[in-house]
Amino acid sequence: MERRKFMQLTALAGLGLGMGGLPLRSALAQSSPVDLFMVSAFSGPFAANGKYGEMGGRLAVKRWADDVKQPVTYSTIDTQGNVGVATRKVQEAIAQKNARIFLGGALSSEALAMSREIHRSNGLYITYVGADEVTGSDCNKSTFRWSVPTYGAIHQTVVPVADLHPDAKRWYTITPQYVFGEGLLNNAKAVFKDKGIEHVGNSYHSLQEKEFSGYLANAVAAKADVLLILNFSQQSIDTLRQLTNFGLKNRMKIVVAWSAGLDHFSTLGADICQDIYFGVQYWHQHDVPANNEFVKMCRENFNSAPTLFTAQDYSITTMAMKAIAEANSTDPAKLIPVLEQLKWDGLTGEEQVRAFDHQVEKNYFLLRGKAKDKMRDADDYADVVSLGKSFVPQAESECKFG
Amino acid sequence: MAIYLFQIINGIGLGMIYFLIAVGLSITLGLLGFVNFAHGVFYLLGAYFTYQFAAAGGFVLAALLAPLVIGLLAFVLERGVLRHTYDMPHKFQIIATLGVVLIVQEVVVMTWGPLGHGVTVPAALSGIVMLGDFPYPVYRIFVVAAAAVLGLLLWLLLERTRFGALVRAGSESAEMVTLLGVDIRLVMSGTLVLGAVIAAVAGVLIAPIRGAEPHMNIEALGIAFVVVIIGGMGSFTGSMVAGILIGVIQSVMSTVWAEGSQLMIYVVMTLILIMAPRGLMGRA
Repeated sequence: MERRKFMQLTALAGLGLGMGGLPLRSALAQSSPVDLFMVSAFSGPFAANGKYGEMGGRLAVKRWADDVKQPVTYSTIDTQGNVGVATRKVQEAIAQKNARIFLGGALSSEALAMSREIHRSNGLYITYVGADEVTGSDCNKSTFRWSVPTYGAIHQTVVPVADLHPDAKRWYTITPQYVFGEGLLNNAKAVFKDKGIEHVGNSYHSLQEKEFSGYLANAVAAKADVLLILNFSQQSIDTLRQLTNFGLKNRMKIVVAWSAGLDHFSTLGADICQDIYFGVQYWHQHDVPANNEFVKMCRENFNSAPTLFTAQDYSITTMAMKAIAEANSTDPAKLIPVLEQLKWDGLTGEEQVRAFDHQVEKNYFLLRGKAKDKMRDADDYADVVSLGKSFVPQAESECKFG
Repeated sequence: MAIYLFQIINGIGLGMIYFLIAVGLSITLGLLGFVNFAHGVFYLLGAYFTYQFAAAGGFVLAALLAPLVIGLLAFVLERGVLRHTYDMPHKFQIIATLGVVLIVQEVVVMTWGPLGHGVTVPAALSGIVMLGDFPYPVYRIFVVAAAAVLGLLLWLLLERTRFGALVRAGSESAEMVTLLGVDIRLVMSGTLVLGAVIAAVAGVLIAPIRGAEPHMNIEALGIAFVVVIIGGMGSFTGSMVAGILIGVIQSVMSTVWAEGSQLMIYVVMTLILIMAPRGLMGRA
């Protein structure tokens, strides 16, 4: 192409974009009263949260659009899995875009920081991160949480596994030393005491750890019957790979209290997952109408079964959309009372917000990895062993709205 | 067998992996004086190519092909980008190689997705052996043996061949080597490619242990720098001693004070920096 012609074409293209873009922006500004801001990591080590989460959020917007009866814009904010970046970008969105409704959060630490900022601006924040403080000691009126806290995760994994294997009395734990790991460990210790389980040792490790062979040797030395992994994400994956290499699956029961479910299973493969117990917030095979519909939508739109990230963003966006439809408003002051009374048929069965701490009551699943030759399809990695709801009673809750 | 004895043996195995990750960096940093922050991406690509090739033709094919392909990529990278920074201050080398890291990482995420992938341990190397009461994977023993053989070959290459002599001479005085009629740029190219191939081999060998995930290069680069600092820049033996030292420290500390096992690596590095600023076996 001649240089002159190329320049003419690019000039025309630029003009076209400029002319087309102006009325578009103007039109959106005039007719978009519902602005949802999804905050998550789209880059860095936690980029999977954002990528798959956004798919779920947009699906929920599409699903409930008719109920809201107003155009909805769904914007994303990349926190990079960094507390400082997350806080700054949320502040900017509040100040520059008048953002009021935020959904998501990749890490507990960033969610806690964003929660404070959003509460300060009288906004609304719905999240799914793990730290108990979100609906516990650091709760506030603006913040709601969909996922089961560490209390429920431990009760719905340790108790049924202990009941299934009454002779397995010696449990060893591997725990990352930060707020989420401590929450899981403290709850596990309480359950051990109740069930008469001997806690034969714990290995703390840093969040940067990649090598777990030393901690696995500690579990062997302690002659543990059960190894309880109190971690999440890539570190759980590394631990499971290495314990399989070391042949620990043949020496003791393995329990992962908090797993990402399908994401973990597809990364690890069926051979590693087989016979391991996994606690999960969501399982795509759970047979309830809302979940069956959601799985069908995911297969139609993405040609794959939904992962935890997709399901949890779908769920919290659904909560926001239902509240907006019922309140007929996007004002957080009007949405919060509606959310406090919200009860709906969710992906895990009946789901309901507790007004006193803004925690959603929902099922938590205990799965057991199945053999590769028993899988009915490419995503059929596990059987559901049990499911149920366990939450801190109101009398013991540390949440006090100021 | 006492747990501490097992942890020492486990640490030696771990240390050999760290040696493999670091020795390529030690060569490029110590002998070329080139600050290569992109060293970890060769390791990253080694693991991903292993995942890709192993799925198509098995682990052995992957182990042969991946380092070759990465060596070729490193050559292109060196010709296209890195060689233009050899005569520049280190900060330009850091910026250029960091740029390469960001690009490669994003390409990996776009190609293979943000979630990691597993690589199955080859059937012939699966299983465990018992060291007293403790199980130890056969595959890790293979990795230790492979690292030892590779280390020996590398030593022979650097100490007993003309190429090795030119690399060592070039690191002392590039001008003198040029005056003797040797194309020093070609030697530098070869050295950088050699470092990349060794990192790729480390990625190949680590893939069945840790899988392939998009940010594994960051941890590898951190460990590699620690090994190079402790062992001394450009010292082949230093890299091996330092790799084993930090492997043993990390492993033993996971029993003594588990939460401090990562921390102790950096404490040891700091102490050695204070007592021997050129590292355990660095050249004066």
